[in-house]
Amino acid sequence: MNWMMTALQGGLDSLVSYLAAHVLLCLVPAFFIAGALAALVPQQSIIRFLGPDAPKWKSYSAAAGAGSLLAVCSCTIQPLFAGIYKKGAGLGPAVTFLFFAPAANILALAYTGVALGAEFATARILLALSFGIGIGMIMAIIFRETDVARVAGAQTFAEGGGIPGKTLLFIGALVALLISGTLKLDFLQAVLFATELPWGGATAIQQTLDRWVPVDEAVGAEGLSLQGAILIALLAAIGVFAWRGLGKVDAGFNRCTPIALGLTILTLVFAALGCKVNDAGIALTVTGRSLAVTLFCLALIPLARRFDPWDVQQWLWESGRFVKQIFPLLVVGVFLVGVIRVFIQPEWIRMVAGENTVLANLAGVVFGVFMYFPTLVEVPIARMFLSLGMHPGPLIAYLMADPELSLQSILITAAIIGKLRAWTYVGLVALFSTVSGLSYGAWVDGTSSWLLAGVIGGFIALIIGTLNWIEAQRKTLEEVKA
Amino acid sequence: MIIKILGSGCAKCNRLEQLTREAVAELGIEATFEHVKEMDKIMAYPIMTTPALVVDEQVKVAGRIPSKAELVGLLKAG
Repeated sequence: MNWMMTALQGGLDSLVSYLAAHVLLCLVPAFFIAGALAALVPQQSIIRFLGPDAPKWKSYSAAAGAGSLLAVCSCTIQPLFAGIYKKGAGLGPAVTFLFFAPAANILALAYTGVALGAEFATARILLALSFGIGIGMIMAIIFRETDVARVAGAQTFAEGGGIPGKTLLFIGALVALLISGTLKLDFLQAVLFATELPWGGATAIQQTLDRWVPVDEAVGAEGLSLQGAILIALLAAIGVFAWRGLGKVDAGFNRCTPIALGLTILTLVFAALGCKVNDAGIALTVTGRSLAVTLFCLALIPLARRFDPWDVQQWLWESGRFVKQIFPLLVVGVFLVGVIRVFIQPEWIRMVAGENTVLANLAGVVFGVFMYFPTLVEVPIARMFLSLGMHPGPLIAYLMADPELSLQSILITAAIIGKLRAWTYVGLVALFSTVSGLSYGAWVDGTSSWLLAGVIGGFIALIIGTLNWIEAQRKTLEEVKA
Repeated sequence: MIIKILGSGCAKCNRLEQLTREAVAELGIEATFEHVKEMDKIMAYPIMTTPALVVDEQVKVAGRIPSKAELVGLLKAG
Protein backbone atom coordinates (compact mmCIF):
# COMPACT_ATOMS: atom_id res chain seq x y z
CA MET A 1 0.00 0.00 0.00
CA ASN A 2 2.84 2.27 0.87
CA TRP A 3 4.32 2.40 -2.62
CA MET A 4 0.90 3.20 -4.01
CA MET A 5 0.56 6.19 -1.70
CA THR A 6 4.01 7.36 -2.77
CA ALA A 7 3.04 7.04 -6.40
CA LEU A 8 -0.24 8.93 -5.96
CA GLN A 9 1.56 11.60 -3.95
CA GLY A 10 4.05 11.92 -6.82
CA GLY A 11 1.22 12.41 -9.30
CA LEU A 12 -0.47 14.99 -7.07
CA ASP A 13 2.76 16.92 -6.52
CA SER A 14 3.42 17.12 -10.21
CA LEU A 15 -0.18 18.14 -10.97
CA VAL A 16 -0.45 20.98 -8.44
CA SER A 17 2.92 22.47 -9.28
CA TYR A 18 1.94 22.26 -12.95
CA LEU A 19 -1.41 23.98 -12.40
CA ALA A 20 -0.14 26.63 -10.01
CA ALA A 21 3.21 27.45 -11.54
CA HIS A 22 3.52 26.52 -15.17
CA VAL A 23 0.16 26.84 -16.69
CA LEU A 24 -1.24 30.17 -15.88
CA LEU A 25 0.74 32.99 -17.31
CA CYS A 26 1.88 30.89 -20.23
CA LEU A 27 -0.79 28.43 -21.29
CA VAL A 28 -3.85 30.60 -20.65
CA PRO A 29 -2.71 33.39 -23.00
CA ALA A 30 -1.31 30.76 -25.40
CA PHE A 31 -4.73 29.11 -25.73
CA PHE A 32 -6.27 32.49 -26.55
CA ILE A 33 -3.52 33.19 -29.11
CA ALA A 34 -4.09 29.79 -30.71
CA GLY A 35 -7.80 30.59 -30.89
CA ALA A 36 -7.08 33.97 -32.50
CA LEU A 37 -4.74 32.41 -35.05
CA ALA A 38 -7.36 29.80 -35.97
CA ALA A 39 -10.31 32.18 -36.11
CA LEU A 40 -8.98 35.57 -37.18
CA VAL A 41 -6.04 34.99 -39.54
CA PRO A 42 -7.34 34.54 -43.10
CA GLN A 43 -5.71 31.34 -44.30
CA GLN A 44 -5.53 32.64 -47.85
CA SER A 45 -3.05 35.30 -46.72
CA ILE A 46 -0.37 32.61 -46.38
CA ILE A 47 -1.62 30.02 -48.85
CA ARG A 48 -1.28 32.46 -51.74
CA PHE A 49 2.52 32.15 -51.44
CA LEU A 50 2.38 28.37 -51.78
CA GLY A 51 1.39 28.08 -55.45
CA PRO A 52 3.33 25.78 -57.80
CA ASP A 53 5.05 28.71 -59.55
CA ALA A 54 6.21 30.50 -56.42
CA PRO A 55 9.99 30.99 -56.16
CA LYS A 56 11.73 28.53 -53.81
CA TRP A 57 12.67 30.94 -51.06
CA LYS A 58 9.10 32.19 -50.91
CA SER A 59 7.45 28.78 -50.84
CA TYR A 60 9.76 27.36 -48.17
CA SER A 61 9.33 30.35 -45.87
CA ALA A 62 5.56 30.40 -46.45
CA ALA A 63 5.44 26.67 -45.64
CA ALA A 64 7.21 27.34 -42.35
CA GLY A 65 4.87 30.28 -41.67
CA ALA A 66 1.84 28.10 -42.37
CA GLY A 67 3.28 25.56 -39.96
CA SER A 68 3.42 27.97 -37.07
CA LEU A 69 0.45 30.24 -37.85
CA LEU A 70 -2.21 28.04 -39.40
CA ALA A 71 -1.54 24.59 -38.04
CA VAL A 72 -2.35 25.14 -34.37
CA CYS A 73 -5.11 22.60 -34.86
CA SER A 74 -4.16 19.08 -35.89
CA CYS A 75 -7.22 18.83 -38.13
CA THR A 76 -5.76 21.49 -40.43
CA ILE A 77 -2.37 19.78 -40.74
CA GLN A 78 -3.51 16.93 -42.93
CA PRO A 79 -5.44 18.90 -45.61
CA LEU A 80 -2.78 21.62 -45.72
CA PHE A 81 -0.02 19.04 -46.13
CA ALA A 82 -1.91 17.20 -48.87
CA GLY A 83 -2.78 20.51 -50.52
CA ILE A 84 0.77 21.87 -50.57
CA TYR A 85 2.04 18.56 -51.91
CA LYS A 86 -0.58 17.81 -54.56
CA LYS A 87 -1.58 21.22 -55.83
CA GLY A 88 0.97 23.70 -54.68
CA ALA A 89 4.64 24.13 -54.09
CA GLY A 90 5.39 20.39 -54.04
CA LEU A 91 7.08 17.82 -51.87
CA GLY A 92 9.86 20.01 -50.43
CA PRO A 93 7.75 22.79 -48.86
CA ALA A 94 5.10 20.22 -47.84
CA VAL A 95 7.73 18.34 -45.84
CA THR A 96 9.03 21.59 -44.33
CA PHE A 97 5.47 22.37 -43.24
CA LEU A 98 4.99 18.88 -41.77
CA PHE A 99 8.24 19.06 -39.82
CA PHE A 100 7.88 22.61 -38.56
CA ALA A 101 4.22 22.59 -37.48
CA PRO A 102 4.37 20.48 -34.29
CA ALA A 103 7.52 22.12 -32.94
CA ALA A 104 6.73 25.73 -33.69
CA ASN A 105 3.09 26.26 -32.87
CA ILE A 106 2.45 28.80 -30.16
CA LEU A 107 1.22 26.32 -27.54
CA ALA A 108 4.26 24.07 -27.82
CA LEU A 109 6.69 27.01 -27.79
CA ALA A 110 5.12 28.82 -24.84
CA TYR A 111 4.90 25.70 -22.75
CA THR A 112 8.45 24.58 -23.56
CA GLY A 113 9.72 28.03 -22.65
CA VAL A 114 8.09 28.05 -19.23
CA ALA A 115 8.54 24.43 -18.21
CA LEU A 116 12.06 23.88 -19.55
CA GLY A 117 13.48 27.36 -20.03
CA ALA A 118 13.80 29.89 -22.82
CA GLU A 119 16.95 28.22 -24.18
CA PHE A 120 15.11 25.01 -24.93
CA ALA A 121 12.30 26.90 -26.65
CA THR A 122 14.77 28.88 -28.78
CA ALA A 123 16.75 25.74 -29.62
CA ARG A 124 13.55 23.94 -30.53
CA ILE A 125 12.36 26.62 -32.97
CA LEU A 126 15.77 27.34 -34.55
CA LEU A 127 16.65 23.68 -35.02
CA ALA A 128 13.16 22.83 -36.31
CA LEU A 129 13.30 25.71 -38.79
CA SER A 130 16.74 24.96 -40.20
CA PHE A 131 16.30 21.20 -40.29
CA GLY A 132 12.71 21.45 -41.55
CA ILE A 133 13.89 23.43 -44.57
CA GLY A 134 16.94 21.16 -44.93
CA ILE A 135 14.89 17.95 -44.91
CA GLY A 136 12.35 19.49 -47.30
CA MET A 137 15.08 20.37 -49.81
CA ILE A 138 16.69 16.94 -49.52
CA MET A 139 13.37 15.19 -50.09
CA ALA A 140 12.66 17.45 -53.09
CA ILE A 141 16.02 16.52 -54.64
CA ILE A 142 15.80 12.77 -53.93
CA PHE A 143 12.35 12.45 -55.44
CA ARG A 144 12.71 15.03 -58.19
CA GLU A 145 12.12 12.60 -61.07
CA THR A 146 9.06 10.94 -59.63
CA ASP A 147 7.34 14.07 -58.41
CA VAL A 148 3.73 13.88 -59.54
CA ALA A 149 2.41 16.19 -62.18
CA ARG A 150 0.47 18.64 -60.11
CA VAL A 151 -2.67 20.33 -61.28
CA ALA A 152 -3.19 23.72 -59.82
CA GLY A 153 -6.56 25.35 -59.91
CA ALA A 154 -5.87 29.06 -60.20
CA GLN A 155 -8.71 29.53 -57.73
CA THR A 156 -6.85 27.66 -55.00
CA PHE A 157 -4.05 30.19 -54.83
CA ALA A 158 -6.09 33.24 -55.74
CA GLU A 159 -4.71 36.44 -54.29
CA GLY A 160 -6.33 37.11 -50.98
CA GLY A 161 -5.55 40.15 -48.93
CA GLY A 162 -2.84 40.16 -46.30
CA ILE A 163 -3.53 39.81 -42.60
CA PRO A 164 -5.60 42.84 -41.53
CA GLY A 165 -3.91 45.40 -39.28
CA LYS A 166 -6.40 45.04 -36.44
CA THR A 167 -5.78 41.28 -36.32
CA LEU A 168 -2.02 41.81 -36.17
CA LEU A 169 -2.42 44.38 -33.41
CA PHE A 170 -4.74 42.10 -31.43
CA ILE A 171 -2.48 39.05 -31.70
CA GLY A 172 0.49 41.29 -30.94
CA ALA A 173 -1.15 42.40 -27.68
CA LEU A 174 -1.88 38.77 -26.73
CA VAL A 175 1.72 37.80 -27.44
CA ALA A 176 2.93 40.78 -25.37
CA LEU A 177 0.74 39.55 -22.52
CA LEU A 178 2.24 36.08 -22.81
CA ILE A 179 5.79 37.42 -22.90
CA SER A 180 5.34 39.89 -20.05
CA GLY A 181 3.84 37.11 -17.94
CA THR A 182 6.64 34.65 -18.44
CA LEU A 183 9.94 36.28 -19.35
CA LYS A 184 12.50 36.68 -16.57
CA LEU A 185 13.64 40.23 -17.26
CA ASP A 186 14.95 42.65 -14.64
CA PHE A 187 12.43 45.42 -15.16
CA LEU A 188 9.58 42.90 -14.98
CA GLN A 189 10.85 41.53 -11.70
CA ALA A 190 11.60 44.89 -10.11
CA VAL A 191 9.44 45.58 -7.04
CA LEU A 192 7.36 48.73 -7.41
CA PHE A 193 5.26 48.55 -4.29
CA ALA A 194 5.15 46.24 -1.28
CA THR A 195 2.70 45.86 1.56
CA GLU A 196 1.89 43.50 4.43
CA LEU A 197 -1.54 42.05 5.05
CA PRO A 198 -1.67 41.08 8.71
CA TRP A 199 -3.57 37.79 8.86
CA GLY A 200 -2.58 35.08 11.32
CA GLY A 201 -4.61 32.38 9.60
CA ALA A 202 -2.34 32.41 6.55
CA THR A 203 0.48 30.59 8.30
CA ALA A 204 -1.82 27.81 9.46
CA ILE A 205 -3.21 27.31 5.97
CA GLN A 206 0.27 27.27 4.48
CA GLN A 207 1.29 24.59 7.00
CA THR A 208 -1.68 22.44 5.98
CA LEU A 209 -0.80 22.86 2.33
CA ASP A 210 2.81 21.90 3.06
CA ARG A 211 1.60 18.74 4.75
CA TRP A 212 -0.58 17.78 1.78
CA VAL A 213 2.01 18.61 -0.83
CA PRO A 214 5.47 18.44 0.76
CA VAL A 215 8.31 20.42 -0.77
CA ASP A 216 11.14 18.12 -1.79
CA GLU A 217 13.82 19.74 -3.92
CA ALA A 218 15.59 16.43 -4.47
CA VAL A 219 12.77 14.87 -6.48
CA GLY A 220 11.65 18.13 -8.07
CA ALA A 221 8.47 18.56 -5.99
CA GLU A 222 7.88 22.29 -5.66
CA GLY A 223 5.09 22.17 -3.12
CA LEU A 224 2.02 24.36 -3.15
CA SER A 225 1.89 27.96 -1.92
CA LEU A 226 -1.22 29.70 -0.64
CA GLN A 227 -1.23 31.78 -3.82
CA GLY A 228 -0.99 28.58 -5.87
CA ALA A 229 -3.98 27.09 -4.06
CA ILE A 230 -6.09 30.19 -4.72
CA LEU A 231 -5.02 30.14 -8.37
CA ILE A 232 -6.09 26.50 -8.74
CA ALA A 233 -9.47 27.40 -7.23
CA LEU A 234 -9.78 30.31 -9.68
CA LEU A 235 -8.87 27.98 -12.57
CA ALA A 236 -11.63 25.60 -11.49
CA ALA A 237 -14.09 28.51 -11.39
CA ILE A 238 -13.03 29.57 -14.90
CA GLY A 239 -13.56 26.00 -16.03
CA VAL A 240 -17.13 25.97 -14.71
CA PHE A 241 -18.11 29.25 -16.36
CA ALA A 242 -16.14 28.69 -19.56
CA TRP A 243 -18.02 25.45 -20.20
CA ARG A 244 -21.08 27.49 -21.20
CA GLY A 245 -19.44 30.89 -21.59
CA LEU A 246 -16.91 29.86 -24.22
CA GLY A 247 -18.26 26.47 -25.32
CA LYS A 248 -21.62 27.85 -26.41
CA VAL A 249 -20.50 31.33 -27.45
CA ASP A 250 -20.95 30.52 -31.14
CA ALA A 251 -24.69 30.75 -30.64
CA GLY A 252 -24.29 34.26 -29.25
CA PHE A 253 -22.73 35.77 -26.14
CA ASN A 254 -24.36 34.44 -22.99
CA ARG A 255 -24.27 35.44 -19.35
CA CYS A 256 -21.36 33.13 -18.56
CA THR A 257 -19.10 34.66 -21.23
CA PRO A 258 -18.24 37.93 -19.43
CA ILE A 259 -17.92 36.06 -16.11
CA ALA A 260 -15.47 33.56 -17.61
CA LEU A 261 -13.43 36.32 -19.26
CA GLY A 262 -13.48 38.50 -16.14
CA LEU A 263 -12.30 35.59 -14.02
CA THR A 264 -9.55 34.87 -16.54
CA ILE A 265 -8.25 38.44 -16.32
CA LEU A 266 -8.50 38.37 -12.51
CA THR A 267 -6.57 35.10 -12.40
CA LEU A 268 -3.83 36.37 -14.70
CA VAL A 269 -3.41 39.58 -12.70
CA PHE A 270 -3.40 37.72 -9.39
CA ALA A 271 -0.85 35.21 -10.71
CA ALA A 272 1.42 38.12 -11.63
CA LEU A 273 1.39 39.49 -8.09
CA GLY A 274 4.11 38.55 -5.65
CA CYS A 275 2.55 36.88 -2.63
CA LYS A 276 4.47 35.25 0.23
CA VAL A 277 3.20 33.90 3.52
CA ASN A 278 5.29 34.85 6.59
CA ASP A 279 4.73 34.77 10.34
CA ALA A 280 2.84 38.07 10.48
CA GLY A 281 0.55 37.42 7.52
CA ILE A 282 0.90 37.84 3.78
CA ALA A 283 3.52 39.98 2.07
CA LEU A 284 2.15 41.35 -1.20
CA THR A 285 4.46 42.82 -3.84
CA VAL A 286 3.50 44.61 -7.03
CA THR A 287 6.22 44.14 -9.63
CA GLY A 288 6.73 45.41 -13.15
CA ARG A 289 5.21 42.11 -14.27
CA SER A 290 1.95 42.72 -12.36
CA LEU A 291 1.66 46.13 -13.97
CA ALA A 292 2.47 44.90 -17.49
CA VAL A 293 0.03 41.97 -17.31
CA THR A 294 -2.77 44.23 -16.06
CA LEU A 295 -2.11 46.82 -18.77
CA PHE A 296 -2.09 44.29 -21.61
CA CYS A 297 -5.27 42.59 -20.29
CA LEU A 298 -7.06 45.94 -20.27
CA ALA A 299 -5.66 46.90 -23.68
CA LEU A 300 -7.24 43.79 -25.18
CA ILE A 301 -10.78 44.98 -24.47
CA PRO A 302 -10.87 48.01 -26.84
CA LEU A 303 -8.85 46.03 -29.41
CA ALA A 304 -11.40 43.20 -29.37
CA ARG A 305 -14.27 45.66 -29.81
CA ARG A 306 -12.96 46.59 -33.24
CA PHE A 307 -13.93 43.16 -34.61
CA ASP A 308 -17.39 42.01 -35.70
CA PRO A 309 -19.22 40.21 -32.89
CA TRP A 310 -19.15 37.05 -35.06
CA ASP A 311 -15.34 37.17 -35.26
CA VAL A 312 -15.04 37.62 -31.49
CA GLN A 313 -17.42 34.70 -30.96
CA GLN A 314 -15.34 32.56 -33.31
CA TRP A 315 -12.17 33.55 -31.44
CA LEU A 316 -13.60 32.62 -28.04
CA TRP A 317 -15.17 29.43 -29.37
CA GLU A 318 -11.88 28.31 -30.92
CA SER A 319 -9.94 29.14 -27.73
CA GLY A 320 -12.45 27.19 -25.67
CA ARG A 321 -12.21 24.28 -28.08
CA PHE A 322 -8.41 24.15 -27.79
CA VAL A 323 -8.69 24.08 -24.03
CA LYS A 324 -11.30 21.30 -24.14
CA GLN A 325 -9.24 19.31 -26.61
CA ILE A 326 -5.81 19.61 -25.05
CA PHE A 327 -6.20 20.46 -21.38
CA PRO A 328 -7.78 17.21 -20.05
CA LEU A 329 -5.14 15.08 -21.78
CA LEU A 330 -2.45 17.35 -20.42
CA VAL A 331 -3.76 17.10 -16.85
CA VAL A 332 -3.91 13.30 -17.04
CA GLY A 333 -0.50 13.23 -18.71
CA VAL A 334 1.12 15.44 -16.07
CA PHE A 335 -0.38 13.35 -13.26
CA LEU A 336 0.87 10.11 -14.81
CA VAL A 337 4.31 11.61 -15.38
CA GLY A 338 4.43 12.40 -11.65
CA VAL A 339 3.45 8.81 -10.81
CA ILE A 340 6.00 7.28 -13.16
CA ARG A 341 8.67 9.64 -11.88
CA VAL A 342 8.55 7.84 -8.53
CA PHE A 343 9.55 4.53 -10.08
CA ILE A 344 12.39 5.64 -12.33
CA GLN A 345 15.84 5.57 -10.80
CA PRO A 346 17.98 8.55 -11.82
CA GLU A 347 20.89 6.12 -12.34
CA TRP A 348 19.09 4.45 -15.27
CA ILE A 349 18.59 7.74 -17.08
CA ARG A 350 22.13 8.88 -16.37
CA MET A 351 23.51 5.60 -17.63
CA VAL A 352 21.62 5.78 -20.94
CA ALA A 353 21.54 9.50 -21.61
CA GLY A 354 23.64 11.29 -19.01
CA GLU A 355 26.31 12.27 -21.52
CA ASN A 356 26.05 13.92 -24.91
CA THR A 357 27.03 10.90 -27.05
CA VAL A 358 25.72 9.63 -30.38
CA LEU A 359 24.25 6.60 -28.62
CA ALA A 360 22.51 8.72 -25.99
CA ASN A 361 20.99 10.94 -28.68
CA LEU A 362 19.85 7.91 -30.64
CA ALA A 363 18.21 6.58 -27.48
CA GLY A 364 16.30 9.87 -27.15
CA VAL A 365 15.13 9.62 -30.78
CA VAL A 366 14.07 5.97 -30.49
CA PHE A 367 12.10 6.72 -27.33
CA GLY A 368 10.41 9.60 -29.16
CA VAL A 369 9.44 7.47 -32.17
CA PHE A 370 8.02 4.51 -30.29
CA MET A 371 6.20 6.41 -27.56
CA TYR A 372 3.17 8.32 -28.63
CA PHE A 373 2.04 11.12 -26.35
CA PRO A 374 -0.82 13.54 -26.98
CA THR A 375 0.00 17.12 -27.98
CA LEU A 376 2.14 18.99 -25.42
CA VAL A 377 2.52 16.03 -23.03
CA GLU A 378 6.03 15.63 -24.44
CA VAL A 379 6.98 18.74 -22.44
CA PRO A 380 6.30 17.45 -18.87
CA ILE A 381 7.93 14.19 -19.88
CA ALA A 382 11.01 16.07 -21.03
CA ARG A 383 10.95 17.99 -17.74
CA MET A 384 10.92 14.73 -15.82
CA PHE A 385 13.91 13.43 -17.79
CA LEU A 386 15.76 16.69 -17.20
CA SER A 387 15.20 16.51 -13.44
CA LEU A 388 16.35 12.88 -13.47
CA GLY A 389 19.69 13.92 -14.92
CA MET A 390 19.30 13.55 -18.67
CA HIS A 391 21.77 15.63 -20.66
CA PRO A 392 20.12 18.57 -22.55
CA GLY A 393 21.46 17.22 -25.88
CA PRO A 394 19.59 13.89 -25.90
CA LEU A 395 16.63 15.76 -24.45
CA ILE A 396 16.43 18.02 -27.51
CA ALA A 397 16.84 14.93 -29.72
CA TYR A 398 13.82 13.46 -27.97
CA LEU A 399 11.82 16.73 -28.18
CA MET A 400 12.51 16.95 -31.92
CA ALA A 401 11.59 13.35 -32.68
CA ASP A 402 8.57 12.82 -30.46
CA PRO A 403 6.01 15.22 -32.00
CA GLU A 404 7.33 14.72 -35.54
CA LEU A 405 7.28 10.96 -35.60
CA SER A 406 4.69 8.65 -34.24
CA LEU A 407 3.23 5.57 -35.83
CA GLN A 408 0.02 7.46 -36.49
CA SER A 409 1.65 10.40 -38.25
CA ILE A 410 3.86 8.06 -40.29
CA LEU A 411 0.80 6.19 -41.57
CA ILE A 412 -1.04 9.40 -42.51
CA THR A 413 2.04 10.70 -44.30
CA ALA A 414 2.46 7.39 -46.14
CA ALA A 415 -1.14 7.55 -47.38
CA ILE A 416 -0.57 10.98 -48.90
CA ILE A 417 2.95 10.83 -50.35
CA GLY A 418 3.56 7.08 -50.65
CA LYS A 419 5.42 4.54 -48.53
CA LEU A 420 8.92 5.00 -49.94
CA ARG A 421 8.85 8.76 -49.47
CA ALA A 422 7.31 8.52 -46.02
CA TRP A 423 9.98 6.13 -44.77
CA THR A 424 12.73 8.23 -46.32
CA TYR A 425 11.25 11.16 -44.39
CA VAL A 426 11.23 9.14 -41.18
CA GLY A 427 14.87 8.19 -41.69
CA LEU A 428 15.86 11.80 -42.32
CA VAL A 429 13.98 13.06 -39.27
CA ALA A 430 15.67 10.43 -37.09
CA LEU A 431 19.07 11.41 -38.49
CA PHE A 432 18.49 15.13 -38.10
CA SER A 433 17.01 14.81 -34.61
CA THR A 434 20.17 13.02 -33.55
CA VAL A 435 22.28 15.77 -35.12
CA SER A 436 20.15 18.45 -33.38
CA GLY A 437 20.67 16.75 -30.03
CA LEU A 438 24.38 16.39 -30.55
CA SER A 439 24.85 20.00 -31.57
CA TYR A 440 22.65 21.43 -28.81
CA GLY A 441 24.42 19.22 -26.29
CA ALA A 442 27.78 20.42 -27.55
CA TRP A 443 26.59 24.02 -27.27
CA VAL A 444 25.51 23.45 -23.66
CA ASP A 445 28.88 21.85 -22.95
CA GLY A 446 30.58 25.02 -24.16
CA THR A 447 31.40 24.60 -27.84
CA SER A 448 31.26 27.99 -29.61
CA SER A 449 28.00 28.61 -31.44
CA TRP A 450 29.78 29.92 -34.58
CA LEU A 451 31.72 26.68 -34.92
CA LEU A 452 28.52 24.65 -34.49
CA ALA A 453 26.58 26.76 -36.99
CA GLY A 454 29.42 26.24 -39.44
CA VAL A 455 29.50 22.48 -38.91
CA ILE A 456 25.70 22.11 -39.23
CA GLY A 457 25.57 24.39 -42.26
CA GLY A 458 28.43 22.43 -43.82
CA PHE A 459 26.66 19.14 -43.08
CA ILE A 460 23.43 20.23 -44.81
CA ALA A 461 25.33 21.84 -47.70
CA LEU A 462 27.33 18.63 -48.14
CA ILE A 463 24.19 16.47 -48.36
CA ILE A 464 22.39 18.82 -50.74
CA GLY A 465 25.57 19.27 -52.83
CA THR A 466 26.11 15.50 -53.10
CA LEU A 467 22.52 14.87 -54.08
CA ASN A 468 22.67 17.61 -56.70
CA TRP A 469 25.90 16.16 -58.07
CA ILE A 470 24.42 12.63 -58.32
CA GLU A 471 21.40 14.07 -60.09
CA ALA A 472 23.60 15.94 -62.57
CA GLN A 473 25.68 12.80 -63.24
CA ARG A 474 22.53 10.80 -63.92
CA LYS A 475 21.25 13.43 -66.34
CA THR A 476 24.51 13.46 -68.34
CA LEU A 477 24.44 9.65 -68.48
CA GLU A 478 20.92 9.72 -69.85
CA GLU A 479 21.88 12.32 -72.42
CA VAL A 480 24.85 10.21 -73.56
CA LYS A 481 22.60 7.20 -73.93
CA ALA A 482 20.09 9.15 -75.93
CA MET B 1 -29.58 21.62 -54.37
CA ILE B 2 -26.68 19.37 -53.35
CA ILE B 3 -24.66 20.62 -50.41
CA LYS B 4 -21.33 19.02 -49.55
CA ILE B 5 -19.33 19.66 -46.40
CA LEU B 6 -15.66 18.84 -46.89
CA GLY B 7 -13.69 18.00 -43.79
CA SER B 8 -12.09 15.21 -41.83
CA GLY B 9 -14.90 15.13 -39.27
CA CYS B 10 -13.34 17.58 -36.82
CA ALA B 11 -15.33 19.87 -34.54
CA LYS B 12 -15.21 22.76 -37.00
CA CYS B 13 -16.56 20.63 -39.84
CA ASN B 14 -19.50 19.41 -37.77
CA ARG B 15 -20.18 22.97 -36.68
CA LEU B 16 -20.28 24.14 -40.32
CA GLU B 17 -22.69 21.33 -41.24
CA GLN B 18 -24.97 22.21 -38.33
CA LEU B 19 -25.01 25.92 -39.23
CA THR B 20 -25.68 25.16 -42.89
CA ARG B 21 -28.57 22.86 -41.98
CA GLU B 22 -30.03 25.64 -39.85
CA ALA B 23 -29.67 28.12 -42.72
CA VAL B 24 -31.36 25.68 -45.13
CA ALA B 25 -34.22 25.17 -42.70
CA GLU B 26 -34.58 28.93 -42.34
CA LEU B 27 -34.85 29.41 -46.08
CA GLY B 28 -37.15 26.40 -46.44
CA ILE B 29 -35.33 25.07 -49.51
CA GLU B 30 -34.82 21.46 -50.62
CA ALA B 31 -31.27 20.25 -50.21
CA THR B 32 -29.40 16.96 -49.81
CA PHE B 33 -26.38 16.93 -47.52
CA GLU B 34 -23.19 14.98 -47.93
CA HIS B 35 -20.23 15.05 -45.52
CA VAL B 36 -17.12 14.23 -47.55
CA LYS B 37 -14.40 12.81 -45.33
CA GLU B 38 -12.01 11.05 -47.75
CA MET B 39 -8.88 13.14 -48.28
CA ASP B 40 -8.68 12.16 -51.98
CA LYS B 41 -12.18 13.39 -52.69
CA ILE B 42 -11.62 16.57 -50.68
CA MET B 43 -8.44 17.31 -52.61
CA ALA B 44 -10.35 17.04 -55.90
CA TYR B 45 -11.79 20.48 -55.11
CA PRO B 46 -9.67 23.62 -55.44
CA ILE B 47 -9.17 24.08 -51.71
CA MET B 48 -6.27 23.81 -49.28
CA THR B 49 -8.05 24.12 -45.99
CA THR B 50 -11.05 22.54 -44.34
CA PRO B 51 -13.86 22.86 -43.45
CA ALA B 52 -15.23 23.79 -46.86
CA LEU B 53 -18.75 24.28 -48.16
CA VAL B 54 -19.59 23.13 -51.70
CA VAL B 55 -22.98 23.98 -53.19
CA ASP B 56 -23.80 22.24 -56.49
CA GLU B 57 -20.07 21.52 -57.04
CA GLN B 58 -19.13 25.19 -56.51
CA VAL B 59 -16.78 25.94 -53.61
CA LYS B 60 -18.43 28.66 -51.57
CA VAL B 61 -16.32 28.81 -48.42
CA ALA B 62 -13.02 27.19 -47.39
CA GLY B 63 -11.06 27.20 -44.16
CA ARG B 64 -13.46 29.12 -41.99
CA ILE B 65 -16.96 29.06 -40.56
CA PRO B 66 -19.18 31.81 -41.93
CA SER B 67 -21.95 33.31 -39.83
CA LYS B 68 -25.48 32.07 -40.40
CA ALA B 69 -26.44 35.36 -42.05
CA GLU B 70 -23.63 34.90 -44.57
CA LEU B 71 -24.66 31.28 -45.18
CA VAL B 72 -28.24 32.32 -45.87
CA GLY B 73 -26.97 34.87 -48.38
CA LEU B 74 -24.75 32.27 -50.08
CA LEU B 75 -27.56 29.73 -50.34
CA LYS B 76 -30.02 32.30 -51.70
CA ALA B 77 -27.60 33.25 -54.45
CA GLY B 78 -27.47 29.58 -55.40
